[in-house]
Amino acid sequence: MTPRAEPTFSIRPDRHLIRPNAHSQRFLLARIAAPRATTERARRPVNLAIVLDRSGSMSGEKLSVAKNAVEQAIARLQPDDRFSVVAYDDVVDVVIGSTKASAEARRGAIERLRSIDARGSTNLGEGWLRGCEQVASHIAEQGVNRCLLLTDGLANIGITDPDELALHAEELRARGVSTSTFGVGNDFDERLLQRLADAGGGHFYYIANAPQIRDAITSEVGETLEVVARDVSIEITARDDIRIDPISPYKMIGGGNRTSISLGDLGSEQVVEIVLRLSFPYGLLGQETGAILALKDRDSVFGRGGVGETEPIRLTWAYADDPANDGQPRDRDVDRAVARLFAARARQEAVQRNRMGDYVGAQQILDATARRIRGYAGHDQEMRSIIDALEREQIMFAGQMAEPSLKQAYFASANVQRSRDATGRSVKRA
Amino acid sequence: MPDDERFGLTELADLAGVTPRTVRYYLAQGLLPAVGQSGPGSKYDAGHLARLRLVRRLQAEHLPLAEIRRQLEGLDEDEIRSLAGNDAPEPPADSALDYVRRVMTRMPHDAPADPSAAAAVPTAQPIERSQWERIVLAPDVELHIRRPLARAQNKQVDRLVTIARELLEEDRP
Repeated sequence: MTPRAEPTFSIRPDRHLIRPNAHSQRFLLARIAAPRATTERARRPVNLAIVLDRSGSMSGEKLSVAKNAVEQAIARLQPDDRFSVVAYDDVVDVVIGSTKASAEARRGAIERLRSIDARGSTNLGEGWLRGCEQVASHIAEQGVNRCLLLTDGLANIGITDPDELALHAEELRARGVSTSTFGVGNDFDERLLQRLADAGGGHFYYIANAPQIRDAITSEVGETLEVVARDVSIEITARDDIRIDPISPYKMIGGGNRTSISLGDLGSEQVVEIVLRLSFPYGLLGQETGAILALKDRDSVFGRGGVGETEPIRLTWAYADDPANDGQPRDRDVDRAVARLFAARARQEAVQRNRMGDYVGAQQILDATARRIRGYAGHDQEMRSIIDALEREQIMFAGQMAEPSLKQAYFASANVQRSRDATGRSVKRA
Repeated sequence: MPDDERFGLTELADLAGVTPRTVRYYLAQGLLPAVGQSGPGSKYDAGHLARLRLVRRLQAEHLPLAEIRRQLEGLDEDEIRSLAGNDAPEPPADSALDYVRRVMTRMPHDAPADPSAAAAVPTAQPIERSQWERIVLAPDVELHIRRPLARAQNKQVDRLVTIARELLEEDRP
């Protein structure tokens, strides 16, 4: 198949029939493919802050690789871009205030970066906010404004409450500044960094070993450089007696019968899959109900002639009797996507339980999920292998696991749920 | 959506997120213009959809149908469309810079004065939380106060609330 440059949006329901006297749950698989960035159109300017943890634990290889990675990232910018660098321990320093990425500024940055060395404890909150402030002070209206936060530790002074930090990330995102996070080693809190990235409309990267810092930063900066559609969201219109839950971890804003699911920015040819669950009310045999979905983005990349929303896709479900419901065909691709997501969610839960020493609980959650998937897997190969994996892993989760294994399992599951590959990079269309 | 698009009754209802019965009711009440002869083959257009969405929005604001009808009569097609389309969440009133600066000025400054002391004790510091109290002065106006306050300040705040409430009461129609 030849790669296609146009944006696409498709939706597949797992089944079309629902039961009149039960709250039927049906799943939808939405697939979005962003268009290819064109060479004739200049890319969007980026406005980045890079925030480095220089607390004592970062000393040595971690900090030197991180500084190196920042140097390389800055070298890729063009004079229309902006950058800034913040370093924090218990004290926060703006090492390089927001500046246009002229050749001179880029050269000067290298000198200043060398001056950062490791010391004190971790005021992650203020370090990150300072970075956001640098980005916010020169918002690129047509560009990508993002703060990149790298840490190897816990927020232990300043704002340390994860709820509060996530709230600020969300508020800043609503005001145009997104956040991506990088956690290095064993001692950071991956749930906090994932939450900041989710609420902040960016991405989270787990970096097991210092040498990988460069790849992760390079990859994230690369993604900001090739954003083709900003603030993409799925807009759903459905009767308000149909309940909609995103199974994929995206933020949903509901208002009456209009529901919006925000997917953040999409890069050139990036593919994102989202699973939604719809819960239907009771109804009358033969009656139909439906939902209408369209895709929207800030720059009308997915729109039709500047309208800003794609052609709406209309789906209908019909109330039918039990034999018809039991005998209806299923879209196996949707089933597979649902199974992958629930398996990934179960693994993340098992990671938490294992870390707390609840080995039985960790096993149980994997077992229960494997059983549920078996209920609809039939002889499908992919779903069978998901079940097998969940069963195999129960043995691993039955005893104390090393922190890198827990973090790796968490990160792999987080990526599955967000249509990203094992290293946290976005997935492109084939 | 394109202007020439036409929908059946069920489709129109789905697009607006209501039941077909509600659409029929609005038609009967004159909130939606009728299309030729009514029946299963009737086709509705984007104007109907916009009008229907606007009626739902106004109903969500608890306006009685008679009042909604009155409001719709004063509007032309374009006005109805722009009002109906305007159901996206309000963008924040302040900028990212205002927001981040506000958060940082409120931030607890409990960092130890001596950085070497911090390095020696990298364990968690107690979290300093502040309590903000919201006082509603009028339906759209609030006063935020960080507690605790000194007694003298408390009295000043009490006076401020009394005066502000009187002032806002006067200005109400």
